[in-house]
Amino acid sequence: MDPVHLFELASQQARWLGIRQMLVAQNVANANTPGFKASDVTPFEDVFNSNEITIKATNPGHIGSDPNDIESVTMKEATPWEVTYSGNSVSIENEMIKAGEVNRAYSMNTSIRKAFHQMMMTSLKG
Amino acid sequence: MNDQLEASLKIAGSGLESQSTRLRIVSENLANAQSTGSTPGANPYARKTVTFESEMDRAAGVDLVQVKSIGVDRAPFRVEHEPGNPAADSKGFVKYPNINVIMEMADLREANRSYEANLQIIKQVQNLNSQTIDLLRNSS
Repeated sequence: MDPVHLFELASQQARWLGIRQMLVAQNVANANTPGFKASDVTPFEDVFNSNEITIKATNPGHIGSDPNDIESVTMKEATPWEVTYSGNSVSIENEMIKAGEVNRAYSMNTSIRKAFHQMMMTSLKG
Repeated sequence: MNDQLEASLKIAGSGLESQSTRLRIVSENLANAQSTGSTPGANPYARKTVTFESEMDRAAGVDLVQVKSIGVDRAPFRVEHEPGNPAADSKGFVKYPNINVIMEMADLREANRSYEANLQIIKQVQNLNSQTIDLLRNSS
């Protein structure tokens, strides 16, 4: 077991959750903008899997899907709940559900990190 | 790493600003629901409308929202026969604003709902931020 890898994974997910929260905020702010299409992130599993298969990018010039890059994880929502006459596909209810999900996942993320930190401290101090 | 969360606050803030402009326009319309012209046959207050557009913020790379334009509703004015009114024309007809109070109330409720949704996002982001800070707090 490599504890450092877990911290890396946790911070990766935290970044992904941050991007998701940002997109939710973007959708809610544009809930009344004509023609605005709601956007979401690709699921974390996909980001994580694609990240494992691709070659490690050790140089900024290397190409690879990077979870820190907003562009590579953003996508337009495939199945919007409702599309209004003005062409807006944001559903506030759906966005609130997503915000709740982000909140829950983020608490779990921070709790796991806290627990892991505690474990490391225990093994250090005895 | 809290770049995205800061961006979220900025986006939600722009949403609040746009929705409050919309509330302002609704209250202007309601306040002027009976405002006729002052000279005989003059046009009364015309209903104002608000349209939004999403605006790309180059610095953060995110879509903010802003008020695109405050337009004027081109619907015909309501005409009533009131010969005694100072704004009545030669035949005794007075033009009243093209404002439907029920419609304004519906718009008010919708603006209110959108405003609350943006507020909710701000609360959520603050919660996420404090959870991150709590990571440092209890790690003794």
